[in-house]
This record gives sequence, C-alpha cells and structure tokens, in this order.
Amino acid sequence: MKAAELVESRMADWRRLEQGCLRLEHPGRQRLSTQQRVEFAALYRAACADLALADAHQLPAGTVRYLHQLVGRAHNQLYRSRKFEFRQWYEEMFQRVPQRLFHDGYLRLAAAVFWGGFLLALFLSSKWTPVPEFAEAVLTRDGIIGLEEMYSEPLWESGDATGAEGLMWGFYIFNNTSIGLRCFAMGLIFGICGLFATVFNSIYLGAAFGYMTTVPQGENFFQFVTAHGPFELTAIVLSAAAGMRLGFSLVDTGGLSRFDSLARAAKLSLPTMMAAVVMFFLAAVIEGFLSPSPAPYEAKAIVAMLSTLMLLTYLVVLGYSDAPPTEEDTLLDW
Amino acid sequence: MFEKNRQIDSHIRVVTPENIGFEYRVASPFERLLAFLVDAIIMLSVVGVAGLVAMFVFGLFGVLGMGIGVAMVSWFLVTWFYGGVFETLWNGQTPGKRSLRLRVLRTDGSPIDAGQAVLRNFLRIVDSQPFNTYLTGLLSTAVTRRYQRLGDLACGTMVVAEDRSRAVRFNEINDVLLTPVDNMLPPGALPSRTLAKAISQYVDRRRYFGPARRAEIARHVGEVFAEQYNLPPSVDHDALLCVLYRRTFLTSRDDEETVLESGSHPTLAPEAFREFELPA
Repeated sequence: MKAAELVESRMADWRRLEQGCLRLEHPGRQRLSTQQRVEFAALYRAACADLALADAHQLPAGTVRYLHQLVGRAHNQLYRSRKFEFRQWYEEMFQRVPQRLFHDGYLRLAAAVFWGGFLLALFLSSKWTPVPEFAEAVLTRDGIIGLEEMYSEPLWESGDATGAEGLMWGFYIFNNTSIGLRCFAMGLIFGICGLFATVFNSIYLGAAFGYMTTVPQGENFFQFVTAHGPFELTAIVLSAAAGMRLGFSLVDTGGLSRFDSLARAAKLSLPTMMAAVVMFFLAAVIEGFLSPSPAPYEAKAIVAMLSTLMLLTYLVVLGYSDAPPTEEDTLLDW
Repeated sequence: MFEKNRQIDSHIRVVTPENIGFEYRVASPFERLLAFLVDAIIMLSVVGVAGLVAMFVFGLFGVLGMGIGVAMVSWFLVTWFYGGVFETLWNGQTPGKRSLRLRVLRTDGSPIDAGQAVLRNFLRIVDSQPFNTYLTGLLSTAVTRRYQRLGDLACGTMVVAEDRSRAVRFNEINDVLLTPVDNMLPPGALPSRTLAKAISQYVDRRRYFGPARRAEIARHVGEVFAEQYNLPPSVDHDALLCVLYRRTFLTSRDDEETVLESGSHPTLAPEAFREFELPA
C-alpha cells in the first residue's frame, strides 16, 4: 500500500479526532457523551500508532508534522491539570507545613536575624541607649518628624466616617501582601539581598519602636501597632525564610543540578508562602478595622496575645515532630 | 524524555504514557509577550470594572472608602492570582495564551497542577526585572533549551504552541508534464527513505516558488539522480523530483511495487533497505 492510500484510509479517523479536540477545547459547548469519550481515547491511540509507524509507512514530512500536532493536541485534552483539592491542601497546610517550618533552618535564621536586629535597635534607640544618636542615624531627621506628626493625635480622631477602615483594609492587603510576595520571589535571585532586606527592616522597625518609647506620641503609636503586630511581623519573617530557601538552593544544591535544586526548594517553599499570605490577610483585617479604632488598649493587647498564641499553636503544637516530613510526601509533585 | 543531542530547532520531544514519542514546538518569547499583553489588557479591564462597581455600590451607602478598599483587594487578587487560577482551571491556559494557542505543560509533557500554576505566576515578578522590562525572563529563555523563564525552571514547566494545521492531502501535480520523464526513468528507480522525506518537503513547498527558483533547488538532487540513471543532462529536474514523489507516495502500479512489497506486510519496514548512493 502506498502512503497516499494509507493516508486516505486513515484521514476520516484523524478528522474525527480533530472534531473531538475542538469540542473538548471549548468546554462551554456541548460535552462529549460517554460513547464519544471512549471513541476519543480509541482514536487517540490509533493516531499514536499511526505516528509511531510513520517511518515504516514512509509518510511524507507534511503528514508527519500534522500527526505530531494532532497527537499533541489530543494528548493535552486527555491528560488534564488536576483541580484544587481541598482535603489535600488542608493536610498540607495544617500537618506538613507546620512540621516543616518547625524544622526549617532558614526560618530559624530569618527569625533570629529579624528579632535579634529588632531588639538590638530597640535597645539602642530607647532611653537607656549607650549611643544617643542611633535613632536619628537610622530614621533620619525627616523620618523622625514624619513619625511624630503621624501619631500626634489618636488615629480615630483624624478619620472621617466614609468607610476609611475599609479603604485602609484594602490598602494593607494590597500593599503588605505584595511586599511579602515580592520578598519571597526576589529571594530567588537575591538570597543574600533577602537577608539584607530582613536586616534592614528589623533595624529600621526596632529603631522606630525604640524611639517612640521616648516621646509623648508613643501612646498613639502603640495603640495602633499592637493588635496586628504578631501576624504581620511573623508573615514577613516567613516570606523572608521562603525567599532565602529559594535563593540559597542555587548555592547549596545538595548534590542536585542547580535547576533541580531550585525546583525542589520551590516545591517546599510554596505552601510556606501560602501560610504567609493568609497571615498577611488576617493582619490586614486587624490593621484596617481594629487598630485605628477607639477600642481600649487592653482589647488590642488581648487580640495581640491571642494571635501570638495561635501562631505558637500552629508552629509548635501542630509542628512538633521528630523529623520533618519526607520530601516525597508532598502535595506538589514536580 | 528529552534527548539532549537531538534538538536542532525549537521542537521538544515528549513521550506519552502510550510510549509514543511526539514533538511539541516550544513557544517563542515573542508569542508569549503577545499572550501576556492580551492578559494584561483583560486584567486591567477586570480591575477597572470591578473597582468602579464596588465604589459605586459602596458609595450609594455612603461608605466610599470601603469601595476603594474592595477595589484594591480585587487589584491585589487579580495581579497575583489571575494566571494561577486560569492555568489551573483551563488546563494550562490563560485567556491570552488561549487566544495565541499556547499552553503551559510540565517538561515531560504532562499537565501542570494548581501549585505549579500559582508558583510560576508568583515568580513572574523576578522575571519582569529590572523595572518590568522582562529582561531577566528574556535572558533565561535565551539560555535554556525549552525557552523557560525562571518561574518555569522553578516549577519544571514549559510553554508550548499548539499548532493547528489541517490534515494535508497529497499534492496532485498538474502543472508539469510528468509522463515523458517517468518513461525515461527505469521502473525500479526509487529514492531512499530519507531522500524521499526531503523530496516530500520540496514538493509541499514548490508551489510557492517560481520556475527559476524551482530549477535551482531541484538541481542539487536532480543532477545526481540524472547521472545515476543515465538521463540526458537537459532533463527537467523539477519534474524529475515530482516523478519520484509520485512514485514513492502516490501511485501504486504493481510493476513499481517490487522493492517496497518485499516484506508484503505494510507495517513492516522493507527488508531490502533502499539506499541512495552518491556516485563516486
């Protein structure tokens, strides 16, 4: 049999497979019946066989090219992306992620750097400081004036009643979560720069906190920052740790090729990052609605303590384990 | 799996669970840029419409600030999760990719999952450096075999183009007179397998060329063939290649089947391998 006759006899099946692809590619249109699905799979296997034997049948180049794209197209309809599965994500987020974080060296490093820098700067700019000019050196003269002006009166007296809380809630979600995600992603090329950013943030924030203890505006400042502090600061530390894992995976490959090492780190750090995003959302809700409200300071302090307790439960109670889950035991398998 | 030394163009070989190897064409950075621009326009209009509606609705209740807040949340969600959600639900495609017939796949050709879809779009921010020019991503696609940006490398994904060519009929050659050349050529004269493939590519494309160009291209093979079978040097090389094409792929007159039919089973390769040998 010559190629032309062979192609002529197979053409009808290829056309039918093409029709099936067209209908599957537009899910809005009518769906395939069971019968048609079985037929689609059979047609796909037949096309695969035709392609495999293309050389033996001596098909011309154009037909082979057509078969390649036809098989590829049908392959993409037959093997589809797995949907988001709630139960699997629940297990990942509440069992494996806390256990991984509990054993995560990068998280310990990021937390030590952040809180160490924060407390050091806090001490250096408080009234017991051995270096009185420290706060001004870090915050700059203009920064200090801006900070003092911002908290010169209680926040709830400056707002108008047009839903400013909602505005700030939206702004905090947009701004802070974007900063966290950026911090994570940029860790990929700048593992070291992620470390630097963490140090910078910790020193700057520590200096601001310390300075505010020495001036009368401090009361308004702590009224504002107390309630959402735990979630927001933890989320930043988590983002930094996840970013560092990406960046350092390119340096310390553990015997893999650099790309494989990066892929492994990405797989391990994505759920961590999702936890950080959830924390940013919680922080934004508190920061937008409770922090600037005239609620008594005790209420805000209780919220702060409760959220700290929740974080400790997540990281220590849920996370406590002898060893981190194995790398194969993950939701993401690429 | 990918065979390292076989690639000379942008086609990537993938092996299916049916153990069939087929080829994908990897999407070029330019196609991906166009797809991204389509997506960017859609994202902007979604954010714009959602923001205006939210501000209008909340403005009616006298809480305009809440409306702006909702608008900003929708901005955040769209910029960070648009690609991830669409590529999960639409099997590796966003509206922009669908309009340009691109698709995200794993490097082994299997579909991506939700985690990959979300992560490769989170890491877009790295590829867009510096200053949203996408130079990092461009550099990364330039140095990797599958044109992967950094987000693709971290997730083990690639973007392929789904070409949609219609099934090709065989070329009926009507514009040149083939019978005289056919009669000059001995019945058993057939090209080798690889040469037949090359000739089929030539015949697929010859209608785009003028007579002078055809003669120029066909001469390289035609001259050798003419010499081997003692054809006059003035023979029309274009017609000669068409005859060879017709003999190999189209006609199945019994007297020409001698070589191919030695195996008698059409799915088996012929026992005697026809080789086209260059005269010394």
